[in-house]
Amino acid sequence: MAEEMDVDREADKETSSKPEKMFTLKKWNLVAMWSWDVECDTCAICRVQVMDACLRCQSENKQDDCVVVWGDCNHSFHNCCMSLWVKQNNRCPLCQQEWVVQRIGK
Amino acid sequence: MITLSKKLKQQAGPKKEPEPESRRISIRDKLLVKEVQEMEENMPRTCRVQFDDPSVLHHFCLYISPDEGYWQGGRFKFEIDVPDDYNIVPPKARCLTKIWHPNITENGEICLSLLRQNSYDGLGWAPTRRLKDVLWGLNSLFSDLLNFEDPLNVEAAEHYARDREAFKIKVRDYIQAYAKR
Repeated sequence: MAEEMDVDREADKETSSKPEKMFTLKKWNLVAMWSWDVECDTCAICRVQVMDACLRCQSENKQDDCVVVWGDCNHSFHNCCMSLWVKQNNRCPLCQQEWVVQRIGK
Repeated sequence: MITLSKKLKQQAGPKKEPEPESRRISIRDKLLVKEVQEMEENMPRTCRVQFDDPSVLHHFCLYISPDEGYWQGGRFKFEIDVPDDYNIVPPKARCLTKIWHPNITENGEICLSLLRQNSYDGLGWAPTRRLKDVLWGLNSLFSDLLNFEDPLNVEAAEHYARDREAFKIKVRDYIQAYAKR
């Protein structure tokens, strides 16, 4: 091992004595991704992120009115998706608990 | 007087009518684009699906050829119809092949909990379910989900309880007559 490392170092010296740059860094673009730090970020009904407008509101151009609803069970959905579902069955589709609204908002 | 702006208004007028029906369909179809693909990628080896019109994803046929159990050797055709209000309501399924089965009537009605629209346990339909779950559910009616205790075709279940051998023979006779591969 030691011998190999010595050889490497000698090779380094040789290359550094000849300053021949093959590449220069001209521009560097940084890209950052972000997402909301919430537990259930996809609406299990329409399968769009809860912080985006649901499928229905997207197609009806009502993006601004599309809000999120949280239940007592801490599961979140689009309010419009959930209001369609509770008409049929007043239970959380994810945990089957009785659906009680905890909070509505963005 | 006829003016250009009036003409434009007239043209724009009738177009502004909302079309809730077609919009709702498009929600279903948007969901189906993903779900059909997912279903085809996760198909049990005993299943095959057939779309009569490739541009219509809400209506297709499913063929199940069980490789074990009483119905082994038969091929059963199911019709799946996905209503406009999907996925708030479940898909509708019917068995088009005449069959002797405790959970499927001779007319094709099917008793499968996940296809039930209103249920108070956690087993009924929920919008979290997908087409692939429906496929696996129907496929399991020939194995794991076969249930003689809670029959839809009561006569078939009683037949089984009374005389298991005679039940098996009737199942085979029906396969010979209606479900040959």
